[in-house]
Amino acid sequence: MRYQALGAESSAFVKNALLAAATAVSAAAFAAPAEAAGTAAGTTISNVATATYDLPGGGSGSVQSNVVTLKVDELIDVTVAWRDPSDVIGTAGATGQLLSFTITNGGNGNESYTLGTIANLGGDDFDPAIGAIVLDTNGNGAYDPGVDTVYVPGTNDPQLTPDQSVAVFVLSALPLAATDGNRGRAELTAVSKTGTGTPGTSFAGLGQGGGNAVIGATGGKGLADGFYKIQKASVAFLKSAAIADPFGGASQVPGSIITYTLAATVSGTGTLANLKITDSVPSGTSYKPGSLTLDGGALTDAADADPGSFAGTGIAVNLGNVASGATRTVTFKVKID
Amino acid sequence: MRIWIALLALAAPAAAFAAGPEHVSLASHVFVERVKPGPGGKPVTVREAPGIVTPGDRLIFELDYRNVGAEPATGFTITDPIPASVAFTGGESENALFSVDGGRSWGPLGSLRVAGPNGASRPATPADVTHVKWAFARPIPAGAAGSVSFRGVVK
Repeated sequence: MRYQALGAESSAFVKNALLAAATAVSAAAFAAPAEAAGTAAGTTISNVATATYDLPGGGSGSVQSNVVTLKVDELIDVTVAWRDPSDVIGTAGATGQLLSFTITNGGNGNESYTLGTIANLGGDDFDPAIGAIVLDTNGNGAYDPGVDTVYVPGTNDPQLTPDQSVAVFVLSALPLAATDGNRGRAELTAVSKTGTGTPGTSFAGLGQGGGNAVIGATGGKGLADGFYKIQKASVAFLKSAAIADPFGGASQVPGSIITYTLAATVSGTGTLANLKITDSVPSGTSYKPGSLTLDGGALTDAADADPGSFAGTGIAVNLGNVASGATRTVTFKVKID
Repeated sequence: MRIWIALLALAAPAAAFAAGPEHVSLASHVFVERVKPGPGGKPVTVREAPGIVTPGDRLIFELDYRNVGAEPATGFTITDPIPASVAFTGGESENALFSVDGGRSWGPLGSLRVAGPNGASRPATPADVTHVKWAFARPIPAGAAGSVSFRGVVK
């Protein structure tokens, strides 16, 4: 078979000139569009070319080149990412607080990883007490106590195929001494069991499929930090009294009415749950029926649907959950006997 | 005859240049192209024998030919299928023809199209190339040798 010539081939037999031309093109040819994991480790790349030519006596001859084969080596890369969208909020002293991470095999072979945590890092206010690493055994991305398995190094080290990810949870207790707004950092590490090192480090014969294992850009070790943040609300309580005597003054005489004002102000962050204000009627005075108010609104004395009540010796108002920044004000009146 | 020559070449790859009893020999080589720190810290591009090969590595496929016969070789072509795990990235020696359909049709890359969904087609890109071929217009004199090459990246 004959082929038409394309352009001048004057340099076709000059090897050096051809190589120079190829080199000139090379600078623009390096987009390296490899997919995340790419060709699986152990894959063989074979190249063989064929030359054809006219035979002197007519017809055509052909010859094949030698077969060049390469085995694709295993690239070891692993990344760890913290998945929580923002600091995980917890109260001081809370246990079982959850940080969520994802471990992804960025290499091109199956790889197992040893997991670890570090809590005594700088750049934070307290060290979380890390209790356990839990693997997302059922693969639903959420922590399921009793279903997802607690990680035990060397026993259930996660193995991932190329591009595969696994969710991992870190459970911690937050110190009682931490105060509102404190942040605590915890780090999850995933270390390739084949090996780690500077990128380019190779381990002969340890790659999947019998080739070499080569450390990629991540060094064969992934890590990510997650943060806890303490939310602690506190309440300031202010009680004041105003006296009105029967004569238009402010003397403490029998028949004077004392109005008590109880102001509860919640500060910090978060919410105080089930905040309740109680106060007793001082001796020598009598509760003035129907005088109980909350934030200016009247409350009945009976223990009923409204949050306030008077029960013989004192008043009680259930404020429920009060968000930080809010002030709830209770008033009631007594008459000096 | 043709089959016999092909079998011989396959059976004795080490003796590549000695193959082809009286006409033409063809030897295939592959190199890895890497960028390394050079003198003064400037990066230099080097070609190496393939030791470690991982996805994303840039390969140079080189084909060395020689007319080992006594007569000029006319109608000379070299055809090389792109290995399955390699994406062609250009960098080919001049006067190459391409196929994006497994070697059924050939042309300059700019003239080729790839069928898409719904009967549509789009211009072919280097990554679509399945075969590369060089057709020599002039006979190769007896004893003359040369080389062609192209580049690819490990997928």
